Amino acid sequence: MKKQERALYSEEHKKYLKNIKIKKVLILSAQFGILIGILVLWETLTHFMILDPLFFSSPSRLIKTAIDMFATKEIYDHISVTVYECVLGFGISTIVGALIAIGLWWSDYLRRVIDPYLVILNSLPKIALGPVIIVLMGLGIKAIVTMAILICIIITITSVLNGMMSCDPDKILLMKSMGASKFQILYKLLWPYSIPNLISVLKINIGLSWIGTIMGEYLTSRAGLGYLIVYGGQVFKMDLVMTSVFLLCVMAAGMYLLVSLIEKRVYKSR
Amino acid sequence: MKIILCLDRVSHTYHSKLGETLALKDISFCLNDGEFLSIVGPSGCGKTTILSLISGLIKASKGQIVIDGEPVTTTNRDTGYMFQRDHLFEWRTIRQNITLGLEIQKKMTPQNLKMVDELIEKYGLKEFANNYPRSLSGGMRQRVALIRTLATSPKLLLLDEPFSALDFQTRLYVCDDVYNIIKNEKKSAILVTHDISEAISLSDRIIMLTNRPAAIAHEYVLDMQECKTPLERRECKKFGYWFDKIWKDLEKLENNQ
Repeated sequence: MKKQERALYSEEHKKYLKNIKIKKVLILSAQFGILIGILVLWETLTHFMILDPLFFSSPSRLIKTAIDMFATKEIYDHISVTVYECVLGFGISTIVGALIAIGLWWSDYLRRVIDPYLVILNSLPKIALGPVIIVLMGLGIKAIVTMAILICIIITITSVLNGMMSCDPDKILLMKSMGASKFQILYKLLWPYSIPNLISVLKINIGLSWIGTIMGEYLTSRAGLGYLIVYGGQVFKMDLVMTSVFLLCVMAAGMYLLVSLIEKRVYKSR
Repeated sequence: MKIILCLDRVSHTYHSKLGETLALKDISFCLNDGEFLSIVGPSGCGKTTILSLISGLIKASKGQIVIDGEPVTTTNRDTGYMFQRDHLFEWRTIRQNITLGLEIQKKMTPQNLKMVDELIEKYGLKEFANNYPRSLSGGMRQRVALIRTLATSPKLLLLDEPFSALDFQTRLYVCDDVYNIIKNEKKSAILVTHDISEAISLSDRIIMLTNRPAAIAHEYVLDMQECKTPLERRECKKFGYWFDKIWKDLEKLENNQ
């Protein structure tokens, strides 16, 4: 927007724009206010021993623990292990899930055969398979990634498939009337049509792959943030638990931001 | 005059769990090159089925369809199908939408692209060519859909109620527009519609179908050479006569249901 243009606005419009700005500031300050309020309340309550800091930790102890952890460098190993597992689970389940969805779109027969299995697997709590996963994959990263994949992949398959099936059948008919092959329908129509849906699948999968990874680490691990949380709980170091949870929050937000950036880029290029 | 399309005793049966429905029964007609034919009839009588059969999207249960001497067996490049809605792809520019058919048929040759650019220029889409469909009005979008259909140089255009999704004002204007472009490009066309006045204003000939199973009930050769474009025709003296006649015939059919 150029300055001259802005000068041309009527008083009323300026007022309208100002109101939008004020609202934005109000929302942002409330958002920060809540965060700061919680931290201050938490700190005071634990400081005056109304809440026992041994059970509840406290912001100052949290910061101190974090500084100590980063000083020993050990924490980098834990973070990288967890991020590695999470990204692997996320990547594999998204790609393989999308490919399976394409396969099910391709073959009507296969889709109808698989359908009840998908429904059951979708409602099954995947954690129940924990012992089976450990027996099959052994203790360690393989089992954790498998858990993350199991949690993400079913929802990936169903939402990608539903996205593809929601395409207007007349659009497919149009492609067919031009003589399009099934493969052409897939990559000229359904692939670009599905991109907004794929992005929302990515966003869902970030959250789910974190759940899967931490759950996997609860089951079996020697390193990682989930391991730190379990360990901290067992030896009653709530500072360690809280700090690890906080670090998880930061990383989950970071990954979400990354997908949002991809989203912005995709929409800009259209 | 050269004959471009003939249907010879074509019948079609739809199968579903609930049973089988005979949709078309012994439909025979021919179309001359450059002719504009409309198909009208009671709703749900199988008008669209005829277009699907001609385009090869579905296969006739009985009978034969011949386009320019070649029997139709599968989707063919001789026909261009235009739908009720424009179905432009939002992620493609206007020009990319228009070249969709050429891409699919792997005919993106320099001379075809030149032809596309000529069409774009001729029909006033040049300034939008690199825009996305969402920036166009409903009427313009339908024009793009028509140019997209023309881009693969089909011999025969199949129009499946292409105006019914538009509001009344736009419909009259787009109807005129489409007619002029089709005549200009010297294409033959079959229009399916439930709107009698639309059929009269566009066609050289109208076929009326009966209720299911659809057979040909009447055929009207419109002698309205003095009024050419659809808008002129709506003002024409004979317009009222034909409208009355066709409307009454249709009413009789619908009452027989």
